[in-house]
Parts: sequence; structure tokens; C-alpha cells
Amino acid sequence: MVSTGARQGAGAPRAVEPARTAIHGGPTGGSARESVTGGIVAISGAAAAVDLTVDLAPTRGGLVLANPILVASGTFGYGIEYGDVVEVGRLGAICCKGTTLRPRIGNPTPRVSETPGGMLNSIGLQNPGVDAVVERYAPLWATWRTPVIVNIAAESVADYAEIARRLDGVPGVAGIELNISCPNVGRGGLQFAIDESAAGAVTAAVRRATDLPLLVKLSPNVADVRPIARAIAAAGADALTAINTLSGIAVSADRRRPLLGNVFGGLSGPAVKPVALRVVYEVRQVVDIPIVAIGGVTELADVLDFLAVGAVAVQVGTAIFADPALPVRLVGQLAEAAARAGHASYRPFIGTALPAKPGVPSAKGVEYRP
Amino acid sequence: MSMRLVAAELVESREILPGQWLQSYHAPTMAAGARAGQFVHVRTGDWSGLVLRRPFSFNTVDAATGTMTIHFRTIGRGTEWFTRLRPGDSIDMLGPLGRPFEVDPRSRHLLLVAGGLGMAGVRMLADEAIRDGRQVVVLFGASGVREVYPSSLLPDEVEYVVATDDGSLGHHGFVTELVADYEAWADQAFACGPAPMLRALAGLAVGRRARLGVAKLGRKRGGGRPLAIGSPQARRKAFLQVSMEQNMGCAVGACLGCVVMGVGGTPQRVCREGPVFASDEIAWEAGW
Repeated sequence: MVSTGARQGAGAPRAVEPARTAIHGGPTGGSARESVTGGIVAISGAAAAVDLTVDLAPTRGGLVLANPILVASGTFGYGIEYGDVVEVGRLGAICCKGTTLRPRIGNPTPRVSETPGGMLNSIGLQNPGVDAVVERYAPLWATWRTPVIVNIAAESVADYAEIARRLDGVPGVAGIELNISCPNVGRGGLQFAIDESAAGAVTAAVRRATDLPLLVKLSPNVADVRPIARAIAAAGADALTAINTLSGIAVSADRRRPLLGNVFGGLSGPAVKPVALRVVYEVRQVVDIPIVAIGGVTELADVLDFLAVGAVAVQVGTAIFADPALPVRLVGQLAEAAARAGHASYRPFIGTALPAKPGVPSAKGVEYRP
Repeated sequence: MSMRLVAAELVESREILPGQWLQSYHAPTMAAGARAGQFVHVRTGDWSGLVLRRPFSFNTVDAATGTMTIHFRTIGRGTEWFTRLRPGDSIDMLGPLGRPFEVDPRSRHLLLVAGGLGMAGVRMLADEAIRDGRQVVVLFGASGVREVYPSSLLPDEVEYVVATDDGSLGHHGFVTELVADYEAWADQAFACGPAPMLRALAGLAVGRRARLGVAKLGRKRGGGRPLAIGSPQARRKAFLQVSMEQNMGCAVGACLGCVVMGVGGTPQRVCREGPVFASDEIAWEAGW
């Protein structure tokens, strides 16, 4: 099954192309189909003139996306699974399934469970390993206009660096997103994501291993995310992704035992959106690098909320399962919203909800925060 | 046929058993492209906290009228929402998804084994087989007479044999106990139902050749080479094909939520490599 990603010939990886040649997300001639979700959105009139481009690695030769709507790791496979149902060529970028050094079979089932306003997953990083990903998918990605960011995960700093080395210079790989919510086997199973020195060390090691644009995905399962974000930015990350899933469990109604095969799962979906907003809001005030927000985006209002607290782009994840056409639809809706507001780009939406002076508490009473 | 996202209009909805519903939808592209064993992934209109679609097997299709039916039990808010729909209402349907049952062209006798709601998984195959001039026996198991699928909803040509746990109708015991009477007659068997039932059937399938005294004569071309898991040939060659069930996220193979363990030690996606597998492709004792 071949995706509808528009061909640009055997192209070089998007990451090394200068901004001025960035292709804007226009219709790619997806096949007409009856669709209740209005998959095909023709951006017309003033909206078509709105500049949606965004650079996620401004200090490193750039990772310029045609628009700020990405699809989240683990929810969109390798970009091919949704076939003609999603016009891949209209997406800002794709974050592929978490990739490890060696193949992993993942966790026992059940692996997913619906929860109020969200879902729990404990897939356990099932994937064929970095070499297979490079061999099977990168050649196809190289023909797409849409950049593919490879999400990577490991249990040691050395493994993270090795995966990054194997992705460096591979045509079709536009960037790397570090999933640091993995147990660090060298330090007794403590997650890299909850320890600033570990998070900084793994970021620095990957930074040394590759010149690819580097995003690092923050975990919300920490008391204070700001020192961790600072350490990651100081170690050379180009951008931050916030947030990864919240740790949770579910109980099986009939067996009265933990429902998920691995007991613990990651909570995603609309239920986590307020937490994601809070983390982006906090992190935006302590780092200067771009933030890609993720957590419960199901409609344009959510995109605008995340932009308001300082994100420059968003990832759509869980919502794709119910509404595969949503990410492409959001691209058109964001352009229309900017045009309606009289803006030439979507950038005026960014940061409007941040405090006037960074770091100064804006609340008038007791701040409820971890 | 590749999957599509379509609006499907409810034509008819009725409760055929306590808490079990049969609904007919007008969805011409689905009805035209679907094969027995495949499924659709449907979005509920209740968005107040429900974030996942619900998978339903194609229960029957009627290409002439462009309709398809689904058969489901109300087990929560999502499934209950579907029962409140009225004719003319539309739902958002993604499909056809997954891989179908594979009937060997030479098979004359098909044995279908269904446990409870598993009938929804094999029901369409009965229609296809009868259309193609094959003989069909359906073995059906349920807890009691109140749960027994009405024979009036099956084609007249089907031989329908029932087992109930409490003996209130038909054989007193498990449906798997009926298989012995038909395993020699059947060329191929197809099953859908609770995991323990499928596991028991897979066990029976393993010993079948020995019990029937069937010798493997000669070497078929390609004999001895293992067939790729999920390949149509692997399903066609196996005596038993099973339709598996698993909690599902995306239903298109992107999220890896709905796997079952394959014999090679690689998890197989129910939505993509399945939901129909050859019974010898599944690692039944893996504890997954």
C-alpha cells in the first residue's frame, strides 16, 4: 500500500533544504471519496496566503515544516498504515513509532484501554529495530515532501547515541525525537526523563552523535519539569516536545485485577490536556528553544490553546484513532483562523497567554502546581 | 480493496437477543468490497469522554442493496450509543479492515464454530459458502437458551447445531465437544469466540490428522517451507482458521495495541495480519 505523500523525486532529506524552498502545504490531489469527516480541505482565498511554515531547529540549518501540525509517535506507525485515508503530504511532519537499537516484541496484552476522556497504552516499544526501520521505510520517506522525524528510545546513553549515529545522514530521516521516558538500566531503572543530569547527558550524547535536528520529549511524571527542560536545552537540543503520557493504571471490571498486561500504562487524550498546557506554559518561560506541544488535541481550539501558552507547533496523537482526517483538517482550519484574524501568518497566536514577565507568578493567590 | 472512511446510514436496528443488537447500514462501498472475516472500525457519536472507535465484524453484506449488518452486545457507553440511533442517522465508518477467511476452492464442507457473540465473526462466511455451493454446518455455543442465536437469522441451507452450558437447549456442555462428530466430514473449519474456546479448537486441530489416520502422501511443491504469517496461503492450508479479538486502538496497524503472539515469537497485529489467522500461526500457550 503506497501513501499519498506527494513525490518530489528522489529528494534529499528535507532537513538540509534552506527555508526558502520549503514547500507549502497545498492540496496534493488526494482521491475524492465520500467522507463524513471532510478529509479534503481546500484552503482558499486569504487562508491560502497565510504563512504556516515553522522552523523547529533554527540554530542548526533548520528543520522547516510546511505547517505546525505534526502526528505523534506511536499513533501513526511509519506513515503508511492509514493509506489513502490520510493525505500524508499535507502534514507538517510525522513522528514515527518509537525505535530502539535492537528489535523489541513489546509488552503482553491487553495493551490499550479506553478511559474517561482518554486512553491508556502499554505497547512497550514493539518495533523492528533501527536498522530495519532505515532499510524498510527511509527510502520511501525520502520521496515524501513531509519530513519524518524518527522517535528513538533506549535504556542506556550509549544505545541512544548509537541509534542516532545509525540515523545520521540517512536520506528520508529529517530529525530525531528522543523518548527519554525509558528506564535507565545503568542507574537502577530510573527514567532518564525524571533526572536532569541523566536527561542532559543523553541529550548531549545524541547531540555529539548526529547533526540531525534533535527534539527531546519531556515526561510529565515529575515534580518540577523546568530544571529538566533547562538541562536538555543546555545540552544542545533544538526543540522540546511536551508532553509524553502520564503514568496510570486500570483495573479489569470482570477480573478485579490490573487490566493492562504490563499493569502500568501511559495516559493520553483530552484528559491530559490541562497538564500538557501547564507544562508547556512552565517550560516556555525557562527555555528559548521551540516547543512542540502534545496532549489531547482534538480540535482547532486545542491548537490555539497550545500556541497561546508558547508552543510553536502541535502533535496530534490519540485523536487520530477516532478521526484520522483531523490533522490535515487542522492545517486548513489554522490558516482560516489566521486569515479571519487578519494575520499573514499563524505566529501572532503564539504566546498570548504567557505572563508579561517570564517567571513572575501571574496567579493572584496560591499557585496550585507540583 | 483499500480502506475508506465513509458515512453509513442506519437502515434498521433491532434487539435480537437480550442486550444483543443487529443493525443494518447503507454503505455501498463497504458492502461492495468486504469479505467474510473483515471488520469495520466505527466512531461513536458520544464524544463525552469516548476517544476510541469500536471494531465490528461484517456480519452480513448485501451488495445488491449496498447494505451491511453488524451484530453486537451492549457492554458499555459506546455500544449503548449505537442502540439509540434511529433509521436515517449516519455513523462514521472506517473499513474494510483486516484479512478475510480463506476458503480453499476444493473445499466442499465447511465447519463454522461460534461461541456467543462469535457468531458475528463467522456469520458472513456461511452466506459466502452457500452462495458458492458449499455445505455448511454451524456449531454454536452459549451459556443458555436465552443467549442462543436465532436459527431464523441463518440461511436455510445451514445445518445448525447448538450447545449450552446449562443444557437448556441442545447439547449439554461446551461447543468444542461437538467438533468430534464433524471433524472427518469437514474440509476446513472456521471459528470465532472466547479465547479458551479458540485455544481448545486449535488443540483439536493439531491432533486431527492422527485421529483420522490421514497420511501425508508425497511432497507438495513448496512443501516443508514455512508460509509467511498472515499470508492467504497459510490460512488456506490450515484446517482451522480463527478470528481473534483484542483491545484495539487505531485498527489500521499503526499503534500496535491489538497484538497476539505468533508462533515465531513476533507479536502479530489482529487488525492487520488478522483478525483471521491460521490456528497454527498463534502461540496459544504464550500467555498473551
